[in-house]
Amino acid sequence: MSKLKKCWILFSTMMVISSTANSGYAILSVVVRNFVGKHHWITEEEMEDYIALVQGAPGSIAINMSMMVGYHVASLLGAAAAVIGCAIPPLVIMLLVTAFYSAIIGNPWIDIFLHGMQAGVIAMLANLVLGLFKNATKEQKIYPLTIMALAMAYSLLTDLSSILLVIGCILIGCITFITKIRKEKSAK
Amino acid sequence: MKTLIQLFFGFARIGAISFGGGHASIPIVQREVVEVQEWLTYEEFGNLLALDELTPGPILINSATFVGSRIAGIPGAIAASLGSIAPACVITMLLIFLLHKYRKLDIINEVLFAVRCMAVGLILVTILRMSGTIFLMNGISFQIDYLLLFMTAAAFIVIYKWQVSPLLVMIICGALEVSVSYLMKMFF
Repeated sequence: MSKLKKCWILFSTMMVISSTANSGYAILSVVVRNFVGKHHWITEEEMEDYIALVQGAPGSIAINMSMMVGYHVASLLGAAAAVIGCAIPPLVIMLLVTAFYSAIIGNPWIDIFLHGMQAGVIAMLANLVLGLFKNATKEQKIYPLTIMALAMAYSLLTDLSSILLVIGCILIGCITFITKIRKEKSAK
Repeated sequence: MKTLIQLFFGFARIGAISFGGGHASIPIVQREVVEVQEWLTYEEFGNLLALDELTPGPILINSATFVGSRIAGIPGAIAASLGSIAPACVITMLLIFLLHKYRKLDIINEVLFAVRCMAVGLILVTILRMSGTIFLMNGISFQIDYLLLFMTAAAFIVIYKWQVSPLLVMIICGALEVSVSYLMKMFF
């Protein structure tokens, strides 16, 4: 199959996936089904590596996944095709919604509706945080709780941008990793 | 033109540090958009979250489109969105290179764990902040909107126990709020 044809498939497939999937994780499973299962362009092991990688990168899972898959299939052109295909639907749809929003935001009933919706937003966030919390404290308690407390304190007590906090947590992760490796080595 | 550049780099900053994947990156985006760049108020960001649930696409691109279009129309939306993707492009390519060179990137899992814990702390603070603006009527600290509080608790239970789609719950909350307001206006 020619490179151009592959790029087209990447572009159009990502456009369809991006228009219909609701979360980054949903996109992951459809991408796997499509590019591993249907086209056989990527093996399962390679995909596992990519899935791990994509969660470690900043930004959105959907875009990063498009980039990795696109690059794998058709190098830079493929990456570009996949990313653009992925980015266009939310861009267009959100532009329409925003235009609509600006037109109706003055309406008092719409304000009340959106106000009410926020109750649902808070409930959704609470549910999300509960899931993440349970997951993080499955094995150890002190380490995750310390980081959580640190993040809360940072957010509540300082006005600084999150950059420092994120860099700090990345460093903590690296240090923990190195410590674990050292423990394993000395245990041998 | 200057605004476009500001939007591009502003969102590039956000894109570079929004780790966690999916909803876990919400507090980081919120912090940057509301407090650091002061592009939206907390209430407006809450609306954005609700709209983000309605539309496909990652929160990062949706925020970029929303903020960008409100500040500088379609060019603004595109500039912001491109900016939000740019750092991910660089970092993802770097990670792919590292993956091919070193084969194993277990350190990412450890970093990811730390970042997830950070996300828990940050989302909790986000919930607290949103609650502050939503549950207090007219921002007065002793006038609590008990109805909204009750709705949020009910919404949480519904999402948690019966796995109802958060989007549906949000819409119902909005509709309920409108109905109650309408009824109160009719009878009082």
